[in-house]
Amino acid sequence: MNDLQKAQYKEKYLRAKRNGEKFFPDSLYRDMLVMFAIFLLLVGLAAFVGVAAEPKADPSDTAYIPRPEWYFLFLFEMLKFFPGSLEWVGTTVIPVAAVFALLLLPFYDKNPARHWKKRKFAIGFMSVVVAAMVFLTIRAVVTTPAQENAGAVATTLPAQISAGQDIYSVQCAECHGAEGEGGVIKGVKGLEGYKMKAINSQDEMYTRMDDTLYNIVEYGQPDLGMPPFGKAFGGELSRSDIDNLVTFMRYTWDNRVEVPKGAAQTNAIPALGPNDIPSYDVNIAPIVKRYCVSCHRPGKENNNYYMGSYSDLMNSGDHKPNIVAGDLNSNLIRMLHGEKIEAGGAMPPTKALSPDLISIFERWVKAGAPEKPAK
Amino acid sequence: MISKRMYPWLDERLGLSGIYKTVLDRMVPKVNWWFTLGSATLFLFALQVVTGIMLSAYYVPSPDKAYDSIQYIMNGVAFGWLIRGIHHWGATLMVITVFLHMLRVFFYAAYKYPREITWTTGVFLLLATLGMGFTGYLLPWDQKAYWATTVGTSIAGTVPGIGEFILRALRGGSDLSGVTLARFFSAHIWMFPAIIIALIGVHIYLVIRIGISSVPKEND
Repeated sequence: MNDLQKAQYKEKYLRAKRNGEKFFPDSLYRDMLVMFAIFLLLVGLAAFVGVAAEPKADPSDTAYIPRPEWYFLFLFEMLKFFPGSLEWVGTTVIPVAAVFALLLLPFYDKNPARHWKKRKFAIGFMSVVVAAMVFLTIRAVVTTPAQENAGAVATTLPAQISAGQDIYSVQCAECHGAEGEGGVIKGVKGLEGYKMKAINSQDEMYTRMDDTLYNIVEYGQPDLGMPPFGKAFGGELSRSDIDNLVTFMRYTWDNRVEVPKGAAQTNAIPALGPNDIPSYDVNIAPIVKRYCVSCHRPGKENNNYYMGSYSDLMNSGDHKPNIVAGDLNSNLIRMLHGEKIEAGGAMPPTKALSPDLISIFERWVKAGAPEKPAK
Repeated sequence: MISKRMYPWLDERLGLSGIYKTVLDRMVPKVNWWFTLGSATLFLFALQVVTGIMLSAYYVPSPDKAYDSIQYIMNGVAFGWLIRGIHHWGATLMVITVFLHMLRVFFYAAYKYPREITWTTGVFLLLATLGMGFTGYLLPWDQKAYWATTVGTSIAGTVPGIGEFILRALRGGSDLSGVTLARFFSAHIWMFPAIIIALIGVHIYLVIRIGISSVPKEND
């Protein structure tokens, strides 16, 4: 701009100011309204949307699909157009050029006009850039595959204890017993007949801190026959899983900790009144999950009898049907009572279920083995 | 009234009426609602500062404790969920308002004479805001944070020549570790905020000194 144009601009601006308004209170009033609306919006988002819970960082979980913050997605997506040896164009040349283009904008844009009709190139160019950013962002969201095992993350103590209980029942109960009581191992390859000490004793709990328990689970104790369970060492458990497992053990077996209200109930097997009719969903599934699924899942020696779902429970296995509605002589009930039959021996093999639990099974079978609770 | 005698006494020493005259009691052109985006961004930044300071009372920047300390903020601390929720969503909203604010300035040609330096400080503010977003994203030390930062820093590593140096400087080693978390935390609560506060000072000084731009007319 030359001096004449500068003087003209200043004069016009002075006139606009003279015909304008007071910053306080006129402009500030609008600003405050917007600020207040933003504050309400943020409180609303915090209260009703919240912050999505994610599992703890786990460097061993390489299957995790990385996602940058949404406002970096367009950059991330742009890189896909510069594969291989051209990558540095997308990561260096374009971002650096864009930053300098923005920084120096007032110095190379010599057009003195300000109304959009006289700045068609600048307006058009920026519109294309913005449209491209929006397009790339949308494309990134649409093309990124969903996260695998994106299950619910246990964020409260009761939820963590309960998640830990589920993991314990599946991963640990086979050798350490459903309650951590140990005993002679049966039906586990390589460890048959090994006498396992109890891990739920106060000796164990008082002398092993959480970190120690964590490490034992993650790395295992191969010399003693315990395989590693952490993903980093070829096991199935993520860091969050092991954390939950340790939390479960601590809050269940250590008599020094105080179990907070609410946490105690989440693990309990639902009580059954004398006249209630048991159902799979409410009564049987929790027992099965804690005492049976550890072995009765794919990949274990179990005569192909899987107990993870209602239909598997009723219809799978080499000796099926193991449960016959209304028939107390069906395989499952006889084996729960410790009978040795063609389908196999006493179940669970190490320690029989308590009589109340067996009676829940019997009442359930007698009632026709319903899946859903009666209304 | 005591305030009637207090005010002249204070004014004589603090120059309050001078501040009132230059900052508040000035004429500005009549403009539209798009011109509230700057103050909205400033408000969001102030909120981020306040909620961030509160969060730092409970947050522990170590790989062992960061995740658990945030769990505790969300479930154990009174209204911790609200403070973190505002901080989380405030960051997203601040990026949006910064972006729209810049677009408003661009489309109204407000970066032109005499506001060139205001624009330049604004671009640095944009970069610092994105830096806040990038460093803050790692702090929860969850899966999303860990892997996004792994990818983000490895992208910086592809810069020709100095990429390897940048990568190691960002991570504090060849891999993401407690060192990375410590320096991202430091950048997030000290370096970037210091830069942003200084730049906002210049930015607002210029806005008050020169005055906000007006909506361009056909003959402008």
